[in-house]
Amino acid sequence: MAQDMTLLWGSGSPPCWRVMIALEEKKLQGYNSRLLSFDKMEHKSQQVLDINPRGQVPSFKHGDIIVNESYAACFYLESRFKSQGAKLIPDGPEEQALMYQRMFEGLSLYDKLGAVIFYDYYVPEGERLESALKRNKETLVTELKLWEGYLEKLGSGSYLAGKAFTMTDVVVFPTVATAFRFGLSAERYPKLGAYHALMKERPSIKASWPPHWLENPKGQDTLKDI
Amino acid sequence: MAKDMTLLWGSGSPPCWRVMIALEEKGLQGYNSKQLSFEKGEHKGKDVLAINPRGQLPAFKHGNVTLNESYGACIYLEEQFKGQGNKLKPENQAEVALMYQRMFEEQSLFYDRFVPEAERHDSAKQRFTGQLKDEIKIWEGYMQATGPYLAGKNFSLADVIVFPVIAFLFRFGLNEEHFPKLAAYHNTVKDRPSVKNTWPSNWKDTPGMDALKNL
Repeated sequence: MAQDMTLLWGSGSPPCWRVMIALEEKKLQGYNSRLLSFDKMEHKSQQVLDINPRGQVPSFKHGDIIVNESYAACFYLESRFKSQGAKLIPDGPEEQALMYQRMFEGLSLYDKLGAVIFYDYYVPEGERLESALKRNKETLVTELKLWEGYLEKLGSGSYLAGKAFTMTDVVVFPTVATAFRFGLSAERYPKLGAYHALMKERPSIKASWPPHWLENPKGQDTLKDI
Repeated sequence: MAKDMTLLWGSGSPPCWRVMIALEEKGLQGYNSKQLSFEKGEHKGKDVLAINPRGQLPAFKHGNVTLNESYGACIYLEEQFKGQGNKLKPENQAEVALMYQRMFEEQSLFYDRFVPEAERHDSAKQRFTGQLKDEIKIWEGYMQATGPYLAGKNFSLADVIVFPVIAFLFRFGLNEEHFPKLAAYHNTVKDRPSVKNTWPSNWKDTPGMDALKNL
């Protein structure tokens, strides 16, 4: 099973991390894992293009099946391996709906985070504006406060969509971890801080923690003042 | 069932349209349908905020369940009403994988660009236009490789999610001659009852735009 799977990934990429967490949670360790370097532009190399013509990671193959979109891969793995490993999609309508709601809101969080921490990557030099970056930071703060509120409402020790770990955590935790890597203050965002601390200890997350974060424990401080 | 459901929506919004198609496909006509006007700012009104604090449409309620993300609502409806209406998730694993892949690739196609006037750059507009053209070509390629639906032989969640965006592209003047496979897909799905019944009402009476005709 896992031996028929191949994942091409880059360290610190939240989409890649999502798939790795899902593979761990579904007890699919033993897949062919290929770490590529963004700096060396390996994500545009032939081995990636053979699986993903878009030249993006994650690129994921299972036998002849290819699923390169991280959410899609997570859904596929849960669908295909429903009966093994952790149950990532709850059955009850209310729990399920909240899980889907937060999963897709997670995309909003990811976009808004990227708009700040990767501003210079996304926006060519001639188009960069202080006013735009400032607005992006304000938008991110509003979004983070929403998530603080969600966690507050669920109570301490909870996961993002309720009392149990679900696919929401698989797909959104990497975004939260990235925010803290870039200096988000756990004092200003205590609920997210507590969630981060809780999740860091989970086996699937420890097993897939970005290698270069282990090598350089100190991240950046882009977000320390927001 | 449907009577316990409420959908607040705006005309011509692909995310709203997706949920409406899904409701029709699952035989859930009869839901409380409330059309709101974006132009009048009704999406920021109290009745939306009561369901969706983000002040966005679609806003969907089913009893105690609230789902304001269109993908979430569509997947939820298929999961919870698996046994009724049309099956939107294929049996075959390879088709399921392709369905998920296309559903989430759609994110590259639907550009949501709200940039304040003072920050608009010609270079940005050119770059986005170029990216859009490249992206549409990718989808034309997909329709050359498979069909008649996005994940293969069967209409699925991938079509529920992506078709509204394709319809938008043609509404904005995408040239059928430049993209014949997408045009054929558009013409096939246009006639599906769930799509006909939910076609944006203002599109029926007014001509489209031609912003994309040169793409």
